[in-house]
This record gives sequence, C-alpha cells and structure tokens, in this order.
Amino acid sequence: MRSTSSTKRLSLSEWFKTITFYEILVGMKATLSHLLNYRPVTLQYPHEKRTLPDNYRGMLALLRYDDGTEKCVGCDLCEAACPSRVIRVVSAEVPDEPTKRYSKEYYMDMTRCLFCGMCVDACPVDALGMTREFEWAVYDKRQLHLNKQQLLAIGDRSFPVREKRLELQHPNVAFFNVAFNHVPPKPN
Amino acid sequence: MVTEFGLRLAISLTQIGAVMCIVVVTVLILTLAERKVLGWMQDRMGPMEVGPYGILQPFADAIKLFFKEDIVPAGANKLIFTMAPILCLIPTFIGFAVIPWGPNWTFEINGISVKPFVISDINIGILYVLAFASLAAYGIILGGWASNSKYSLLGGLRSAAQVISYELNVGLAIVGVLILSGSLSLVTITDAQAGWIWNWHIFALPAPQIFAFVVYVISVVAETNRVPFDLPEAESELVAGFFTEYSGLRFAFFFLAEYANMVLVSCVASALFLGGWHAPYPGTLMELVGLSSWSWIESTMWFAVKTYSLLFLFFWLRATLPRLRYDQLMRFGWKVMLPIALANIVMTAIAVFISQQIN
Repeated sequence: MRSTSSTKRLSLSEWFKTITFYEILVGMKATLSHLLNYRPVTLQYPHEKRTLPDNYRGMLALLRYDDGTEKCVGCDLCEAACPSRVIRVVSAEVPDEPTKRYSKEYYMDMTRCLFCGMCVDACPVDALGMTREFEWAVYDKRQLHLNKQQLLAIGDRSFPVREKRLELQHPNVAFFNVAFNHVPPKPN
Repeated sequence: MVTEFGLRLAISLTQIGAVMCIVVVTVLILTLAERKVLGWMQDRMGPMEVGPYGILQPFADAIKLFFKEDIVPAGANKLIFTMAPILCLIPTFIGFAVIPWGPNWTFEINGISVKPFVISDINIGILYVLAFASLAAYGIILGGWASNSKYSLLGGLRSAAQVISYELNVGLAIVGVLILSGSLSLVTITDAQAGWIWNWHIFALPAPQIFAFVVYVISVVAETNRVPFDLPEAESELVAGFFTEYSGLRFAFFFLAEYANMVLVSCVASALFLGGWHAPYPGTLMELVGLSSWSWIESTMWFAVKTYSLLFLFFWLRATLPRLRYDQLMRFGWKVMLPIALANIVMTAIAVFISQQIN
C-alpha cells in the first residue's frame, strides 16, 4: 500500500482507527454522554438570579445617619480617588455652623464608573456605600447621570439599617467636622 | 358528475396537501429539536422562553421572519435574487412525491386505484429524487451570485463544487441497493426489504450495503450543507455564505429548504437502506392483535422513527464535529468516498451474480 507524500505510513491499528472513524466516534460518545447526563450550567437569569458574594461591588450610593442627616462632609476625597472621574462634588459650609461642611451638590456619571470601590475606601466618614444592585440598564444614557437626591435614595433603599452619628458611637471613635457646641459631653 | 380526471386531481391534491403539512410540521419540530439537542449536548438548555420549555419557539421564529423587512441589496439581480429561494425550496418539496410513507396498499375509488401512502409511485423514483436534489443546488449558486456580495458569491461557488462532488457519491452509493432490489421505484425497493431486520438492505445478503450506507450518510450531510461540511455557509469565514444578503421570508425559504432537504434525504435513506416503513420483525403487531386495517399506523411510525433517528444523527454530528477545511472536503469526497462507493458497486454486483448462479 503506497502512502501519499502528505501522509506518513500508518500502523495497522492507526489504519483501522482511520477507516472506522474511531476519533469521530469518541467525540460523538462524549456529546451523547452530555446529552444523557443532562446537567445544564445555564442560569435562567431574569427568572433565577445567582447569589451575590458578600463583597459584591454594585451601584454606588450616599448614606445617612440614623437621624436622617447626610454622612457626606463634602471633603472631595472621593473625587480625588476616582480613577474615571465619575464623581463631582460641590462643597459648601453649613450656613449656621462655620466649622461644618457638607456637599451642596454631588454628581455621579455612572456611565464611566468601573466599580473599583476606591471612592468608598477613600471616604473618611463612610458616607459612600456599594449596594448589591446591578440591574441598571436604561434606555437613555442620561438617566445614569445621578445627582445627590438620587444617590441618597439608592442608599435609603439599599441600607435600611443606619449607623448612629459618629459622636454618639463608641467614645474612642475618632470623628471630625463636627460643631462641638452641640455635642453632648463624652461619658467618662 | 365527477369526472375521472377531477377525482384523480382531488385525490392527488389531498395527498400533496397532507404530505406538505407533515413536512412543514416536521421542519418546525426540527428547528426546535436541533437547538434543544445541540444545547443539551453542550450543557445548555436551548430556547426556554416562548411557551413551556420553549416549545413554541418555532412559531415565534416564523412570525419574526414573516414580519422582517425584505431587503434587496443594491446592485443585486432582482429577478434571480427573488427566484433563488424558490428554486431552492421547490425541488426539495417535489422530491417527497415518491417517498412511500406507509404500506403499499391500493384502494379502488370509482374504478380509480389510489395508493394512499405515496403520492406518485413512478418507476424511476430514486432517479427523480436525485435529479431534483441536484436542481436545488442551482438555487444556492444563483442566490450567491445574484446577491452582489463577495461572501454570497464565495458561498455559492463552494456550494457548487461541494454539491457536484458529493452528489456523485450519493448516486454511486445507492447503486448497490438498486442492484439488490432490481428497481428504481422507492415502493419496490421498500417492498424488497420486508421481513426480519436482516432483510433491510443495510444488512441484506448477499451483499450488505453497510459501507454504501455510511458513504450515503456522509455524502448527504455534505449535500445538505450541514456541519461538518457547512463550507457554503461557514459563518466564521463567509458571514452566512450564500444567504448573507437574504432577510425576512426569503431567508425563511432558504432555511425551510435546508431542513426539508434534511428530511428528504433521511426519508430516502430509511427507504433505501433501513427498510422504509417495515418493522424490524415480519408483519406488524397490529395484525397480530387483529387490527390489520390499523396496521398502517405502526408502519408509518416505524418510518418516522427511522427518519427521526437519521435526523438526530445530523444534529449529533453538528454538536460533535468542527468544520472541515476545503481541501480536506474535496480530498475526502474524491479520494475516499468515491473509491469506496465504486468498490461497493463492484462487490455488490459480483455477490449478486454469484448468488443468482447458485440459486
């Protein structure tokens, strides 16, 4: 039996495997075994959702203390930390209390956000939180340009349990940007 | 007063309508079954949204294709562009005229003999199927050429070369069966396989046609442009091949033609090699329990089982095998399939001759 120039001479078992389509039959056995042991890996997404990990980084939100006051002190550190320049903060003094500041305006352009969580790490008063929301598909891109009220609303619906004001927490907790004349004295 | 011609026409039209309905329903089932089987073999689920477990998906697809915009590309030859899907579809449907679906019964209605399970028992049945199957290639080639697109043209050219090469192998593979049964009529060929399973032509003495069957199956996979021989519509190279520019109903026609062609070649294969409507045992179980007038149900079910098994093989191959390279395709067709088919003819002829001399 002459072998052609492109194919090398086959041994008897190789030749037998070739004429009986052995490799193809092995492949067909593999696909058939998957058909018979049908265990789909598909998750029927809108109907069933996977459990998210505990440290899931979803939609960003602004948080409040338990008395309803905003945590944000307008320090601009989140804006500085953001690698995508998502955040824009307009800081202002609280009118009656010159030592206290707050964010007069707070914008997030979520079309650019890459959910790295650096703003949350940067915040000194834990005013930013990452929720577990991820279904933020919209028809109009401008709906992803969020203002302060929207971000606070997201925080309100995602974090129903709020922290106490810092000065009312444990006495050793450091806090700042507080008008001290309103603060109750530290218990000794 | 019903004339003889009018009666014949009415009976034929009824049969044609029934067969068309069966074929279209089968194609609808196939589109779903293919996606489901393919999904299951790849650890997916297939369509799940429309209806329970996605069983209404074919209707959703049909409605979507029906309402899609019908685009004719600029510079396309409009007449041929419009003709091509029809030219592809009609020969495929015409081929079903000679397929025997059930027992070879004859009824007398007003002096006209009617065969209920075959539209037309012509004595060159298989030749007729092959001739029209070759015509369907024109639809693909012309569709590719008329689209004024390089992808379509390349797909059409590939299809031309592929269909011509493999049509030859199909024709030669069935010659052994024709020698064994001594007829070109599919009804006669099926009747020659009555009795036990070893009377089927794939196993029949004196010359089992098992090699011819393998050659036939591989060649019809290539002829219907299915994976692993789907070079005319190789989506990774040629977008969608010859129907790149087609949309809406015209695309649906090509799609329907491809699946109807699969059904046709499976029917022909089961009629030629797998005993057609014959059960693997002599007679039918219905006759044993005394319901011989209902035995046609069992016979047609056996035919359906054989056809659907072959169609499952199409899906199975698609789930398993990657696409061949073009030179591999041609070498396989001309250097492997063709010699096997020719050798099968020679061996079958010698075996039949010897057995005739002995008897």
